[in-house]
Amino acid sequence: MAPTIESVYLGNGGLSEGNNKRSNRFVKATWKNNLTALVVDNVELCRVLERENLRAYGVETVAVETGEAAVELVASGSTFNLIFIDIYLPTMSGPEAVRQIRAMGVRSKIIGLTAIITEKDEQDFFAAGIDEFYEKPLDPDWFVPIIREVDNQI
Amino acid sequence: MELGQMQGRLAEFTKSLYMEGILDAQFLQLQQLQDESNPDFVVEVVSLFFEDSEKLLNDIARALDQQSVDFKRVDAHVHQLKGSSASVGAQRVKNACVAFRNCCEEQNVEGCLRCLQQVKQEHYLVKNKLETLFRLEQQIVAAGGSVPMAEMTF
Repeated sequence: MAPTIESVYLGNGGLSEGNNKRSNRFVKATWKNNLTALVVDNVELCRVLERENLRAYGVETVAVETGEAAVELVASGSTFNLIFIDIYLPTMSGPEAVRQIRAMGVRSKIIGLTAIITEKDEQDFFAAGIDEFYEKPLDPDWFVPIIREVDNQI
Repeated sequence: MELGQMQGRLAEFTKSLYMEGILDAQFLQLQQLQDESNPDFVVEVVSLFFEDSEKLLNDIARALDQQSVDFKRVDAHVHQLKGSSASVGAQRVKNACVAFRNCCEEQNVEGCLRCLQQVKQEHYLVKNKLETLFRLEQQIVAAGGSVPMAEMTF
C-alpha cells in the first residue's frame, strides 16, 4: 500500500539535537503504525541528515553518536522499529553495538551504513546481525520501501 | 537587476552545477528537507560540511607529512570525507575520495598527495559555487522574491 501524503506536524526544526521536541513540518508520507527509528552515527552532519530524512517521511527518530549510547538506550527499554547504524563508530564499533543489541533479543530491522561498502565490512556487519547494508546517504529510493515493509509487518 | 532576471540567473547557475557534475541529486534531496520550520537548513548543513571537510583535509595533509605514514588513518579520514560529501551531493568531491582510497590501498605517498590535491581542488570549487548560489538566493529574497522549490527538469 503506497504511503499517503498529507501534512502532519512532527519532528524538530533546525540542527539542534532536540530529539523529542515537536515543531511544524510537512511530512512526505504517513504510515499505518507510529513508526520509530534510532540513528547511530558519530559524524554530526550525517547524523542530522539521517534523522531529518527519516522524520521527513513520518518516522519518529532519535539520533545518538555512539554505539554505547545506542546499547544503553535499548537496554533501558526503548524500542525502535528501525535502527540505522554506521559501521565505523569511535569507541564501540557498529558491529559490536549490533551484536549487543541483538543479544538483548531485539528483532527490529537493523540497517548498517557505511561511506564505502567493502566485502570484509559487509561480512563483519552481517555476521553481527544487521538485516541490510547500504552506502550513505539515506535515499528515499531505498529507505522508503524498507519503512513500508516494516509498517506492513506490524 | 530586476527580480525576474535574478531568478533566471539563479536557475541557469543551478542547472550548470548539475550539468557539470559538481552537484548531484543528493543536493536536491537536501533542499527538499528545508521548509518553513527549517528555513536555513541547507545553508546550515552545507556550513557544517565545509567545517568538517576543511578539518579532514588538514588531518589528511598532516598524516601524509609524517615520516612513517599511517595509511589506515589517512584511509579513515578519506572514508569519512566520502560519506559527508556524498551526503550533501558534492559529487566531484565524493568521486575524488573514491579515487583517493585506491591510492591509500597502494600505500603510495606520492599518489596520495596527488589525490589529496585533486580532492582539495574539487572541494574549493564546490565551496565557491555554493557560496555563489547562496548569494544569488539571498539577493532574490532581499528583493522580495522567493526561491522556487528545486526540481530536476533537465
